[in-house]
Amino acid sequence: MDGAQVLDAAEPLATTTFTAARRGRRYWRGNLQGSEYAWAVAFVMPYAAVFLAFVVYPVIYGVWLGRSPALYEELASEPIYVRTVVNTVLYVVIGVNVKMFGALLLSGFFMRRGWWVKALLLIFVLPWAIPALPSFMSIHWMLNGQWGLLNNILWTLFGIDGPGWLETSRWLALGSVITSHIWKWMPFWTVILMAGRMAIPQELYEAADIDGATRLQRFNYVTFPLVANLYLVCTLLSTIFTLGDFNSVYFVSGGGPALSTHVLATLGIRNAFEVARPDLGVATVLSALPLMIPLVILLMRKLRTTEVQL
Amino acid sequence: MKKLSRRSALRGSFSVAATATIARPFLAHAAATTVSVWWPQGFVREEDVGFRAVVEGYEKASGNKVDFTLIPFAPLMQKIVGALTTGDVPDVLSHDTAPVTVIPQNAWNDKLVDLSDVVETQRSQYHPTALLASQYYNNATKKRRAYFAPFKTSVSPFHVWNSLVEKAGYKLSDAPKTWDAFWDFFKPMQKKLRDKGMRGVYALGLQPTTTGPADGNALFHYFLVAYGGNGIITPDGKPHLDDPQVKEAVIKALAFISTAYKEGYVPPGALSWNDADDNNAFHAKQMVMYLDGTISAEVALYHKKEEYADMVTLGLPLDNAGKQIPAQLGVQGPFIPKGAKNIEVAKEFIKYLIQPQVSNEYLKTGLGRWLPAMPDLVKTDPFWLDPKDQHVAAYAREGQLDPTVPTYPVFNPGYAEANAQQIWGTAEADVIREGLTPEAAADKALKRIGAILAKYPIEQS
Amino acid sequence: MSAALTESRPARRRTNYRRRRNLGEAAALAVGVVILIWTLTPIYNIVIVALEAHGDVFTNDIWPVKPSLESFWVILTQGHWYLEYFWHQFGNSLYVGLATVFLTLLIGSLASFSIGRMRIRQGWLVSNAALLTYVIPASFLAIPFYRIMHLYGLSNNLWAVIAAEVTFATPYAIFIFQQYGVSIPIELDEAARIDGASPTQIYYRIYLPLMAPALVAVGTYALLLAWNEYLYQFLLLSSKRSMTVPVALAQFLNSDEAPWNYMMATAIVYSVPPVAIYYAFRRRMTAGLAMGGIKG
Repeated sequence: MDGAQVLDAAEPLATTTFTAARRGRRYWRGNLQGSEYAWAVAFVMPYAAVFLAFVVYPVIYGVWLGRSPALYEELASEPIYVRTVVNTVLYVVIGVNVKMFGALLLSGFFMRRGWWVKALLLIFVLPWAIPALPSFMSIHWMLNGQWGLLNNILWTLFGIDGPGWLETSRWLALGSVITSHIWKWMPFWTVILMAGRMAIPQELYEAADIDGATRLQRFNYVTFPLVANLYLVCTLLSTIFTLGDFNSVYFVSGGGPALSTHVLATLGIRNAFEVARPDLGVATVLSALPLMIPLVILLMRKLRTTEVQL
Repeated sequence: MKKLSRRSALRGSFSVAATATIARPFLAHAAATTVSVWWPQGFVREEDVGFRAVVEGYEKASGNKVDFTLIPFAPLMQKIVGALTTGDVPDVLSHDTAPVTVIPQNAWNDKLVDLSDVVETQRSQYHPTALLASQYYNNATKKRRAYFAPFKTSVSPFHVWNSLVEKAGYKLSDAPKTWDAFWDFFKPMQKKLRDKGMRGVYALGLQPTTTGPADGNALFHYFLVAYGGNGIITPDGKPHLDDPQVKEAVIKALAFISTAYKEGYVPPGALSWNDADDNNAFHAKQMVMYLDGTISAEVALYHKKEEYADMVTLGLPLDNAGKQIPAQLGVQGPFIPKGAKNIEVAKEFIKYLIQPQVSNEYLKTGLGRWLPAMPDLVKTDPFWLDPKDQHVAAYAREGQLDPTVPTYPVFNPGYAEANAQQIWGTAEADVIREGLTPEAAADKALKRIGAILAKYPIEQS
Repeated sequence: MSAALTESRPARRRTNYRRRRNLGEAAALAVGVVILIWTLTPIYNIVIVALEAHGDVFTNDIWPVKPSLESFWVILTQGHWYLEYFWHQFGNSLYVGLATVFLTLLIGSLASFSIGRMRIRQGWLVSNAALLTYVIPASFLAIPFYRIMHLYGLSNNLWAVIAAEVTFATPYAIFIFQQYGVSIPIELDEAARIDGASPTQIYYRIYLPLMAPALVAVGTYALLLAWNEYLYQFLLLSSKRSMTVPVALAQFLNSDEAPWNYMMATAIVYSVPPVAIYYAFRRRMTAGLAMGGIKG
C-alpha cells in the first residue's frame, strides 16, 4: 500500500485534522495513554541500550584513561603535536569547504538533462561505493615519485618529471591527502545536495523564468535560499566527520614525510599503539574536543529550530 | 628441493625431539590445564605448521592443552598493547618487536612475570648476547631480571644484487673491507647503470625514514656502532650522551646518510619507507644494495631460483680503523604478563619451547629467516652453515658466530620510547629537508633522547 | 518599437539562444570529461595493478604490462598464504554488513517512530544524545571499545564490530527517518489509532511501508559504512577465521613481501557488493533523501 492510496483513504479526515495538525504541530498532543506510553518507551529502549553500552561507557572509560593533566603537558611540549594541530585545522577547513562547494556546483551540474549526465553520475559515485582501504592505497601508489601512475602519465604524455608527491614536501603531501579525501567524499555530499535541490518545486523556477531571470539570478533567488540551510547542516556534519577521519591520512601519506602530515586522529592511534602509550593516544584525541563540542552544539541547535532534512 | 628435505627433516627429527622431551618430566597436573597463547602468524605457511607441531609435542608430553591464536604481525601488536593496558591478558605472549617496544616499559612497571627460572634451564646453551638481551630493569623491585625467554635472534646483513654489480662493470669480490669504503664502492655503479638505460636505479638503499617502525632505527644504529658510538647507553642503563666519542659517531652517521641522500644515491621515497617498502624497492631492482634486518628479502624470492641465487648476503665489513664491528642482535621470545591465569603452566610451555631441538626445528621451517639464540645449534646443524645456501650461512655467521651486542631498549626503557618517536629518522630528515647541519641535528636529537631518558632513572648498580 | 525590430528580434534571440546553449553544452561536456578522468584515475590504477604481475607494478608504463587474470584466479582458489580463508572472510564481511543494516534499520526506525510519531516527551533528549555520538571521533573510542568488548565477552567476535557499526550508523538513521517521516501525514496514525490499532500495528503496517524509500537510503548508507570500515575491524578482530576482508588486506601492507597484484584484485572483488547494491538501489536512495521537503 503506497502513500497515494493511503492518502486517498484518509481523505475524509484530512480536512479536519490536517489543518488542526498544521496549526498545532502537536500530533498526539502529548497525551499518550498508559499502554501506548509503555510501547513508546519500549521502542526507544533498543537505541538507548546501544547508546549506553557503546557510547556512554566507552566515553567514560576513555576520559578516565586520559584524565591526567600531565599528559596534555607532555603533548603540548612535543613539536609533532603542534604540527599535527595545524595539519588538522588545514585539513578540515580546506577539505570541507572545497568539498561542499564542489558538491553544490556539481549538484547543479548533474541535474542537467541528458543520458550522458545520468551515466556520468553513476560513475561519479564510484569513489564513495568502493571501500576506503583499496582506493586510498591505490592513490598512495599512484602518487609514488618513481613508478606511480600519475608521474608515468605526466612523463608519457607531457614529458614532465613529476615530483615525489608524498615523499619530500609536507605541503604536497598534505595537499594530496586533502585531495584524496575530497575525491572520496564529494560524491556523497553531491547526492545529498541533489536530493535537496530536487525537492524544490518546479513552479518556482518557472516563475523565475517568466520574470526573465538569468541562470545566476535563478540560483541566487530561488535555489540558494532553499538549499542554504541544508548546505549549512551538511557542512557542519561534514566537519565533524572529517575531524575524525582516519583512513585518508593513514593510507595515503601514512603521516607523511617525517611525521609531518599527521592529523589528530592518526596521531592518536600512533601514540596509542606505535609509541605504545595508550593514555597519550587518548589524550591526543581528547584534545580535539574543544573544537568538536561547539560544532556539535551548533548542529544540534540548527537541527532543532529548523526541521531541515538531511 | 631443499624445501622438501627440510620438511622431511622437520618431520623426522621432530619425532626424535618429541620422544627426547618425554623423558624430561614436566609438571604433570592432576587436572589438565589450558594455557592461552598469542603467537605471531608465520612469514611462510611452514612456520605456522612448525608451531602447530611444537604445540602438539608439548600437549602430548605434558597432558596440558594449549589454546593458541596465530595473529598477523601488526594487529598482534595492537592487541598486546590493548591487553596490557586493560589487564585482560592471555598466558603467553610473543611478538617479533615486543622486546624493543612493549617489554621494556612493562618490565619497568612490573607488569611482567620474572622468567629467570625459565631462562636458567638453557643458560649453558644461550649465546651470551642473547642472555644479556633478556635482562630488563624493573623499577618496582629495582633489579634486572629476565622478562622474556630468548627463542630466536636476527641481525642486519647486506643484500646485494650481484647482476647489477656486474652490469655496472664491477666485481663484488673487489669490495673494500672497511665501512665507509664499502658503502662508497657502490656509489659509482649508479651512473654506470643509468648510462646503460636503467632509468630509476639507485646505488644505496639507505632508510632515513620515520615511518618504519623498525628499519630507520636499525640502520642508524648500525652506523652508530660502526663509527664507535656503541657506548651511547651502557648495559647498566646509564646514558652517555655527552661522551665526545658518542657525539662524534652520531654526527658522522647523520652526515653519511644524509649526504648520500642529498647526493642522489638513495631513492627519494626512502624518507617515507615503511618496513616493507625497502624490501619491495629492492625486489624491483630500484637499488643495488641495502642493509636490512633478517634475510626476508632473499627468502621472499626463494621460489624464484635465479633471483634467489643472484642476491648476495654479506656480513659486516670492518670499521674504518680495521676493527670488527659488532652487529646489533635482535633477540625475541615469549613472555608472560602479570595477571595471566596459568603462570606455572605457561612457564612449563616456554621451557619446552626453548629447548634446542624444539626451537631449532621450528626455526628451520621458517627457511632461516630467524636465527637460533644458541651458537651450538648453528655450529652443529648443517642447515645453518650449509655452503650451498650462501644466504643462510652468511646470516647465521653474522648473527651467532661473529661479535654482537644487544639493542639499547634492553638497557633502558626510555630508549624504546625514543625509538618509537623515530628521533633518529627525524634527525636525518632535519638535515635532508630542513637544512640543519649534522651537528645541529645531532644536538637536537641527543637532547630529546636525554629528556626522555631522564624519565627513567636507573638506580641499580 | 518599429515593426522591423519586433520581427527580427525573435529570430536573433533564437540564434543567440541556440549558440549559448551549444556553448553551454560544450562546456558541460568539458566538465564531464574532467569529472570522468578525476573519478576514474585511482580506480584505473587499482585495475592495472590487479592485472599485472607483481614486479611489473614498478615499471613506468601507463597501460597494463602483460595483463592477465591470474590474480583473480589466485583469489578464487585461495591460492596464497594471506588469502587462505578469503571466502570465509568475505562471508564475515557480508555478515557484518547485513547485520549492521538490519539492526540499524530496526533500532533506528523504532526510535524515530517513538520520537517523531508518538512524540514521547523525552524524545528530544534521545535525538540530541544520538548526535553526541559523532562528537567523539571513532579513533578515540578505539581502546575503550577494545576493553569493553572484552568485558562483554565479545573479543575477536564479529558482533563487536557489528555493535560498533550500529552505534555509528544509527544516529544518522534516526535523523533521516525523522525528516522523511515529516512528509507522512500524521492523520494516518491518528486514524488508525482511532480504529483501535496498537502502536506496534501502526509501526508495522503504516509507518514502515511508507518509510520504504528512507529505509532503503539508510540501509545502503549503513552497509557502505560497515563495508568502508577499517580501524575497528582491525582492532577488534584478530584471528584469520574471524577477520573481515579489510583486515586481511591489511596483512599485505604489513609484511616484508606483499604481492600487491593479489591485494588489488582482492580489493576489486571486495568492492563489487557495495557498488552493486548502490546501483541497484540508487533511485530509491535519492527518493528517500529528497522526500523530506525543504523547510527552514
